[in-house]
Amino acid sequence: MHNFEFLRMVNIGQYLPLNSLLHRLDARARIILYLVILMAATFTAQPAGLFLALLIVLVLLRIGRIPLNFALRGLLPPLPFLLILAVLQVFVSIRPPSALPLFEFGILKIYASGLVSAGMLLLRFCVLILTLSLSSFTLSTSEMIHGLESLLSPFSRLGLPTHDLVMVLQVTIRFIPFLAMAAERIAKAQASRGAEWGVRKGNIFQRVRQVIPLIVPLFLTSLRRAETMALAMDARAYGSTPQRTSMYTMQFQFKDVVAIIFGAVSATAILILGI
Amino acid sequence: MTAALIEIEDLWYSHPVRGGEAIPALKGINLRIEEGEYVALIGANGSGKTTLARHLNALLLPDRGVVRIHGMDTREARFHPQIRSLVGMVFQSPEDQLVAAILEEDVAFGPENLGLPPAEIRQRVEDALEITGLKEYRQRPPHLLSAGQMQRAALAGVLAMRPRCVIFDETTAMLDPAGRHMVRRLMRRLHEEGLTVIVISHFMREAVAAQRVIVLNKGEIALDSTPQQVFSHPADLWALGLDLPLAGRLAIQLREVLPDLPPNLLRSNDLIAALPPPPFPVKAGGGSEPDRPVLPPNGFIRVDRLGHTYLADTPLAYQALEEVRLHAGEGKVHGLIGSTGSGKSTLLQHLNGLLLPQKGTVAVGPFDLNDPTTDLKAVRQFAGLVFQNPDYQLFEQYVGDEIAYAPRLKGEHDSLRETVRMAMEMVGLDFESFKDRLTFTLSGGERRKVALASLIAMRPRVLLLDEPTAGLDPRSRSETLRSLEKLRQQGLTLVLSSHHMEDIAELSSSLTVLHRGRTLLDGAAEEVYSNVSLLEEHGLEAPLVTRAAARLRELGWDIPRCILRIGDLIEHLRRNLEAPHA
Repeated sequence: MHNFEFLRMVNIGQYLPLNSLLHRLDARARIILYLVILMAATFTAQPAGLFLALLIVLVLLRIGRIPLNFALRGLLPPLPFLLILAVLQVFVSIRPPSALPLFEFGILKIYASGLVSAGMLLLRFCVLILTLSLSSFTLSTSEMIHGLESLLSPFSRLGLPTHDLVMVLQVTIRFIPFLAMAAERIAKAQASRGAEWGVRKGNIFQRVRQVIPLIVPLFLTSLRRAETMALAMDARAYGSTPQRTSMYTMQFQFKDVVAIIFGAVSATAILILGI
Repeated sequence: MTAALIEIEDLWYSHPVRGGEAIPALKGINLRIEEGEYVALIGANGSGKTTLARHLNALLLPDRGVVRIHGMDTREARFHPQIRSLVGMVFQSPEDQLVAAILEEDVAFGPENLGLPPAEIRQRVEDALEITGLKEYRQRPPHLLSAGQMQRAALAGVLAMRPRCVIFDETTAMLDPAGRHMVRRLMRRLHEEGLTVIVISHFMREAVAAQRVIVLNKGEIALDSTPQQVFSHPADLWALGLDLPLAGRLAIQLREVLPDLPPNLLRSNDLIAALPPPPFPVKAGGGSEPDRPVLPPNGFIRVDRLGHTYLADTPLAYQALEEVRLHAGEGKVHGLIGSTGSGKSTLLQHLNGLLLPQKGTVAVGPFDLNDPTTDLKAVRQFAGLVFQNPDYQLFEQYVGDEIAYAPRLKGEHDSLRETVRMAMEMVGLDFESFKDRLTFTLSGGERRKVALASLIAMRPRVLLLDEPTAGLDPRSRSETLRSLEKLRQQGLTLVLSSHHMEDIAELSSSLTVLHRGRTLLDGAAEEVYSNVSLLEEHGLEAPLVTRAAARLRELGWDIPRCILRIGDLIEHLRRNLEAPHA
C-alpha cells in the first residue's frame, strides 16, 4: 500500500546523484545532447528511425548508470492514456486509397497502416518519456539552470530578461517536491477526519471528487510560501543590482565536444533513417 | 560622532488592509542599537516584533519617522543593496527561505545578487559553509535537509553577504533541541566575532542569553533593559503575555521551601549549581514514602517490532522505522519523544491507519491494523490525528464549517450545532465570536485550536497529536496543555509527540523515546526518566524538575529517585524539613 506516497509519483525532477561519464559532462553539452535527440525522435517519420532513437537512449541510460527497471517504471503512469491514443490512432490514421482492411468488424475496419502508426505513436512517446527521464536523472536542476542561463545569455543582449526567466524556472522547480509533499499532508489530514482517502476502495469518480477539497488548502499554503520566499529573496538583495553574477564558471572540455558531436551524428542518423 | 548601526526615530507603521482601515502595528518606536550588541526582542504574538525587524533591512518602510542603518535612510532605494548586505535576516519557517535547487548554490544567492566576481563568491560560500558546519551537505537539495540543517543553511546564505548584523526572527521555533542548541551556539559565536545579533524569540532562555532585552507590547516598547532587570518582575511579564524562563519559574517555587536560594536565577545550570544541601542530616526513608512500584501501561495501543520504509524499491528508499515498540494505556497520556527525523510522525500515522504496517504489528483499541479487512475509516474515527502544521488541515472557509466537517460526513444533522459548540469550548474558542470567522484570518495559535477542535468534533476515543506545542508563545502553550489535560479527564487516550521532554513531561504517565527510527526506551514515565545518562547520550534532556531533584538527592536530601512534577518535589522537601531531627 503506497496510497499516500505522492512523492513517488513525481518522476520528472528526480535527480540521481551518480558519478557517471554522463554526469561529469558540462551541463550545456548535456542539454544540447538531450535536446537534439528529443527533436530527432519527434520528427523522424519511419519506425527504423524510432528504433535507432530507442537504442541510443538505452545506451545513454546505460552510460548514465541508471537502473533500467527504474527508468522503465516512469512509463507506467502515462501508459493508459497512451494506449487510448494508440487505439484511436488505429481507426483515424490516413491510409492509401487502395489499401485493403486486415480485419473487419461491422463498420470497424482495421488497416495495416493504422496498426503501424499506432505502434509508432506508442514507441515515439516511450522514447520521448525515456529521454526526458534520462535528462532529469542526470541533470540536476541547478545544472540545468546554469546551463540554460549560459546558453540563453546571448539573448539578454537583445534586452530579454533571461535572468528573471531562469529564476522563475528555478523557483517553479523548487516548488514541485513541495507541492507533492503538501498535497500528501493535506490528504492525510482530511483522511484523519473521515474523508475517503486511502481507504481500500473507491471508483474513479469518487477519487476525482476527493481531489477537489485538496485544491483550496494547496493554493493557500503555496501562496503563503511564495510570499515568504519572495520576502527572503528580497532580504537577500535580489534585484537590487542589474548585473547578477554566478558562482560557477563553465568551461567546455574535449569530452563535451565529443558528446555534442555524438548527439549531432545520432540525430542525423535518426532523421535519415526516418525519410 | 559616528552613526549608530541602527537608529530609529519615532517610527510609526500600519499594515494596509484592502478596503478597510489599516491596522496600526508600530506606534512611535525610538531605538538605537550599536555595533556588536546582543539584543533579544520579545513580546506576545501580535506585539509588532516581526514588523519592527523588517524595518531594519528595508523590507518594510516607515509610514512616519526615520530608520537609519549606518546613517543610511531606508526610504532611499539606492541604499537598499548596502542595507540588505549590512543587515541579514533569518526567518522562522526553514524551507521557505531556500531558493536554489542545491545548498551551496543557495548560499551563493545573496552574493550573486550583489554582483560579486565568481572567485569572491566561491570564497564567501566556503567560509559560510564552514562556520555553519554544512560542508558535507553542500550538494543536497533543500527538501532533503532536516529542519535544523535548513535553518543553518539559511544562516549561511545570510553570512555569505558578510553582514554587520544578523536578525533571527523566531529562527529556533520549529527546531528540535539539538538544532536549537546549534543555532544558539552560532548566535553566540557571531556575537563574539563582533557582529550585532538581534534575536526574536518565544523562548525566554534565548532572551536570557542576550545582553539587552527589548519587550514590545502592542506596537510600543514596554521595557528595554538587561535580562536581569526585565525578568525581576514576573507579574509585569505575565501582563505582557510573557513568562519567566523555566529555571526562573522553578526557582520562585522552590524559594517557598528553600528561602536561601539566591534571587534572579534564570539559567538551568545556575539554578542547579545554587541548590543547597539540607540544613541538617536527613534520615533516609524518614520523610518520604518508599518508592512506589511502577506499573507498565496496559496495552490499549500496542505496536511491536514495527518497520517502515518510505519510497521502497526506488533509489531514494529510506528506512524510517525499525523494530519500534510502543505500548500506551487507556485513558492515559502517552508521550512520544525524539528529535526531528527520529520517526515520530511516521509512527503516529500508523496509529490511525494512514500508514499500514509493512513489518511488525499495530493494534489500536479493538482494531487490528494487520488485518486487511479492518475498516480503516472506523480506525481513523476512533483515533484522530492532529498534524503539526494547521495550514494543511484547514480547508473550509469558515471556522464553524471547518469543525463541522467530520460530524457532517458522519451524517450528523440535528446535534451538529451542539457538537461544534462542545468542540470549540473544549479548546477554549468562544462559539459565538469564532464560528463565523474566516479560517485564513486567524492567528497561528487560533488556527491550531481550530484544527484540534475539528478533530474533537469527531468524538474520537484516542487523540494523536503531532508536536502540539511547537512554535507557540508561552501563554498559548499553557492553554493548549490545559485543554489536553481536560480531554484526558474525559476519558480520552492521548498520544503526544514532541522533541522536547519538558513540554509534555507534566502530562504523560508513560513514554516512548525514539532515536533514528528505533525505540530507545518505552515504559512508565518514571522508568524512562530514571535513565538520565542514556537520555543524555542521545542528546535528550530529562525535565529540569527531574534534574533538580536528582541534584538535591545527591546533596543528601531524602527524595525518591524520580520526580516529574514541581508540586511533588516541593512536597518532599517540606516533609524533609518537618521530619524530626536525627
